[in-house]
Amino acid sequence: MTTLAQMALLAAVGSAVGLAANALSPHPSALRQPVLSAAESGGGACAMPASGAASTSAPLPWRPARIGVEEAKGMCTACLAGFVDARGPHEFAHGHIANAVHLPPAGHPDETAVIAQLRTYPLVVVYDGDYSCAVADDVAVRLRRAGLTDVRVLQGAWPAWVAGQGPSAAGICGVCGVEAFGK
Amino acid sequence: MTLLARLARFLLGAIFLWASATKVPDMAAFAESVANYRIVPPSLVPVVAATLVGVEIAAGVALILNVWARAAALILAALLAVFTVGLAGALARGIDLACGCFGGTAAATWWTVLRDLVLLAFALGVAASSPRSPAPSPSLAPDPARAP
Repeated sequence: MTTLAQMALLAAVGSAVGLAANALSPHPSALRQPVLSAAESGGGACAMPASGAASTSAPLPWRPARIGVEEAKGMCTACLAGFVDARGPHEFAHGHIANAVHLPPAGHPDETAVIAQLRTYPLVVVYDGDYSCAVADDVAVRLRRAGLTDVRVLQGAWPAWVAGQGPSAAGICGVCGVEAFGK
Repeated sequence: MTLLARLARFLLGAIFLWASATKVPDMAAFAESVANYRIVPPSLVPVVAATLVGVEIAAGVALILNVWARAAALILAALLAVFTVGLAGALARGIDLACGCFGGTAAATWWTVLRDLVLLAFALGVAASSPRSPAPSPSLAPDPARAP
């Protein structure tokens, strides 16, 4: 049997094994139900710390609390919260929460100034675009270590903010009159 | 086959068996990871995700048992090539996503792409060091001297 035929047979066997594994999995994927990406679904799960996928990640010394979109919208329009966008630079450039600073996990070239700006707010809200909020959690932990006391993660991430029609912008903030710290 | 080649074949198989073992407990989460790459139509995502895990299992077992090892290594190399291109494309487009490679929700980075490239080179090396499909035994091959 040629290598190509063996590869085809292995792929066929593997497909059957995969479908069987899915059927036996404690959390199977519904085969007939389409699965949208977090950004397309408009309602990223962004599970609470005590449940869901986020609870299976490595334990952190401090887990940031969540804040709902409606509460965060109120804090945003009242300029009572600083927002931190932990997504990639392209997604930040395409649109972000008004007045948000861009602080990806890799850091910011002027991070000291960014953190100093965030210190002026009683509350800092971190968000990302991932359904699990893993990136936002990491950045929130970093900000907490930098001395910020009240740091929370936006439940539902950017997709939930868009679905909730929260104030958003690309570049200059139209709400608080502050220039965004985009890279 | 040298001892080093055997070890490499076993290690590659173990890596992918481990990778599949981290996904089976939560196939729904892995399907979400596949969806976040945005390269598979949503209606096909669950089947593609299940198939990927199954192929990892089948190829991993084949490598460890040294059955069709070359074919198994080439399949894994092809999978890694697709993963690497998909991951690099997503990162280049600014899409934040969890890799989904070994379960968990850690965000993918360019280091993840580099790791996949290293694994791809590893898989190709195992394929190159594995023997091709055995040729027909000389005793079974037609004897040219007896040919009419």
